[in-house]
Amino acid sequence: MCHQTVSLVARHLEASGIPTVIMGCAKDIVEHCGVPRLLFSDFPLGNQAGRPFDVRSQKETLELALRVLESAPAPRTTVQSPQRWADDPSWKRDFNDLTKLSPEIIAERRKEFDEVKSIAKAKRES
Amino acid sequence: MTTISPDIARAAITSDDDVAIPYMQRTRDCYLALGYGNPYRWAHFADVPFTPLKTPLDQARVTLITTAAPFQPEAGDQGPRAPYNARAKFYQVYSIPSDSVPDLRISHVGYDRRHTSAEDINTYLPLARLKEAAVAGRIGALGPRIHGAPTNRSHRTTVDLDAPALLRRCQEDGSDAVILAPS
Repeated sequence: MCHQTVSLVARHLEASGIPTVIMGCAKDIVEHCGVPRLLFSDFPLGNQAGRPFDVRSQKETLELALRVLESAPAPRTTVQSPQRWADDPSWKRDFNDLTKLSPEIIAERRKEFDEVKSIAKAKRES
Repeated sequence: MTTISPDIARAAITSDDDVAIPYMQRTRDCYLALGYGNPYRWAHFADVPFTPLKTPLDQARVTLITTAAPFQPEAGDQGPRAPYNARAKFYQVYSIPSDSVPDLRISHVGYDRRHTSAEDINTYLPLARLKEAAVAGRIGALGPRIHGAPTNRSHRTTVDLDAPALLRRCQEDGSDAVILAPS
């Protein structure tokens, strides 16, 4: 939900006259919402600002985001960082991989999900 | 910056699933597999607002918005590799001085726990790199505060409450541009 949240916020800021750029790893969610500018890093969620303990990767990621901010010609500008997480792209198959969902994992995930929803509901109502 | 070598055009074709991960589809499939009949409706708009950057970046005040959460000692494991931790979530916009070294964590969101560990804050919060960019003169200045955006399944909560609160704070800070870093 993080990517959707900031996409909605970026739209709001932009409509009020403040230019924005999103640094994100979930391209589909951001583009589906529709935002002014996205720097997409094709990395596991959580690495939107660059690789762990790799200052050069982080610097290059930020620099590219700044260039997108400066030079996007129109809304829905997405630039994909040329950095790759790994030569082997098989890591991309693992996120929410249904073939690995055992009945125990399903029960656990349901519990987790219901708990999150009830906490959020209680907070909203309080 | 990475330069492109001339022989890149002759590189081997990569596999068909070497594309941006289809998170919406995977999430939908996962909800169905968990037994929820009603798939989540993602935000989707035909029109997109756009404001060109008016101030040159080397004179611009740039503000950072994050979805990371301030560490809460009483809220359980929020460290690297911590399992998903709903107790560590926050529900209201927060702001902290950008000249601090904040302790912000991401155990409350669905980052990729299998392929990354959240050990290095700089992978999800470009604060240190932004400070360097300000010192180097690449940006005019970093905004005086970092703002935290609560992640919420409800579009309406975000649009009606959190986005206006964030706008107000960015205006108070005199922000010329905003970088948003979702985990």
